[in-house]
Amino acid sequence: MNTNSNLYTVIYTSVVCVLVAAILAFVSQALAPHQEANEKAETISQILTAARFADKSEWDSKGNDAILSFYKENVEKAWLVNARGEESGTLDISKAEIVTVSGLKKQNYAIKDGSELSLPVYRFKNGITVVPIYGAGLWGPVWGYIAFQSDLKTIAGAYFDHESETPGLGGKIKDDPAFRAQFDGNYPDFKGTKDEVFEIVKGGSPKDKEGKDVADNKIDAITGATMTSKGLDEAIDTWLEAYKPILNR
Amino acid sequence: MDAKLKETILNPIFKGNPITVLVLGICSSLAVTVEMKGACVMALSVILVTGLSSLVCSLLRKTIPNRVRIIIQLVVVALMVILVDQFLKAYAYGIDKQLSVYIGLIITNCIVMGRIEAFALSNKPLPSLLDGLANGAGYGLILIVVAFFRELLGSGTLFGLPVLSALGYTNNGLVILPPMALIILGCIVWIQRAIQKDLQEK
Repeated sequence: MNTNSNLYTVIYTSVVCVLVAAILAFVSQALAPHQEANEKAETISQILTAARFADKSEWDSKGNDAILSFYKENVEKAWLVNARGEESGTLDISKAEIVTVSGLKKQNYAIKDGSELSLPVYRFKNGITVVPIYGAGLWGPVWGYIAFQSDLKTIAGAYFDHESETPGLGGKIKDDPAFRAQFDGNYPDFKGTKDEVFEIVKGGSPKDKEGKDVADNKIDAITGATMTSKGLDEAIDTWLEAYKPILNR
Repeated sequence: MDAKLKETILNPIFKGNPITVLVLGICSSLAVTVEMKGACVMALSVILVTGLSSLVCSLLRKTIPNRVRIIIQLVVVALMVILVDQFLKAYAYGIDKQLSVYIGLIITNCIVMGRIEAFALSNKPLPSLLDGLANGAGYGLILIVVAFFRELLGSGTLFGLPVLSALGYTNNGLVILPPMALIILGCIVWIQRAIQKDLQEK
């Protein structure tokens, strides 16, 4: 057969396209329930990690069901707030209902263009409150969860994730425990402009004579990942500003 | 095993290494060699994808119209990568989380397309599969060697465990940045050409 004729080429490429599209569509449909369940459990495990219940690796070894049941047992209330800090809806705890990353993306647009917000807040029985953040890193979105002590001011822990930051550089926002640990005990500062709420800068906080940190809203950025650090800084500023009504200033 | 098959497997590891001799896949070898863990994961995924896509393209080789062969190859490679990604997402979410960054890099990796074009389209399925796997391995080997030096000298660690940093070593920021990958790669090419005289240009 002449594989170089126009007719053959057109038919061949059409068949390949339809076939590949069909395979991908079928696989995507068939696997969707599994993938969604995984994504939900992953999000919950990130929230629990930020709240310092256990380390991320520990949750990863536990499996989806254990993560969900731990969440249901320990969460006190999960609700949605609008831009004035008023409750605009509730999340069903018995179904472990949460706002996943795609939901955060929508809320990020809403914050930017000033439309009506419904931002999730998770409060645990031990008094810890967790709020999400979302923004743009260098190659793709970055997001994460910041946990506050019961005073709603001091940061108790944080966990970040990203879609496609460079491993070993920007990827350290997720992989480097030392970077995340810097957040503990610091708190956002709403006295200045929005950009000064929380800062991830080279060198971190200025030091006094005894080597102690002077500012409690500044932490050290990641070497070689300036754009990711800036993006995360911006994401934290934008989202904590949006949560300002419910936080203690 | 006959000599030709053996040659197919061994050649890409050293004598005809895809990175240092064919100079394919340079771009991704700069990006993912900051740490050992990432380099190993990338090496394994590329071995898998080069092997499978070479196999499929070799099976299809007599039917592919010559004028659109690059597009067909691209579709096959992309299909393989997406399928692997989808299955991992559903059944091995933890691994997928680590791999997700590399998925895009694999599709655009010159080695995959290069080996299909140069080898799989004119050879039988079994040698093509082996050629794909071996080229992936040759690529991975260089990746791991470069990552070894970059993680050790840049962060003072190996696989995230402190090695030099435990001895009071000050991290070298230059090694973390991409230019250093090129310099290390250059040194490897230098050493290889010193050993293998026939690679030297007159």
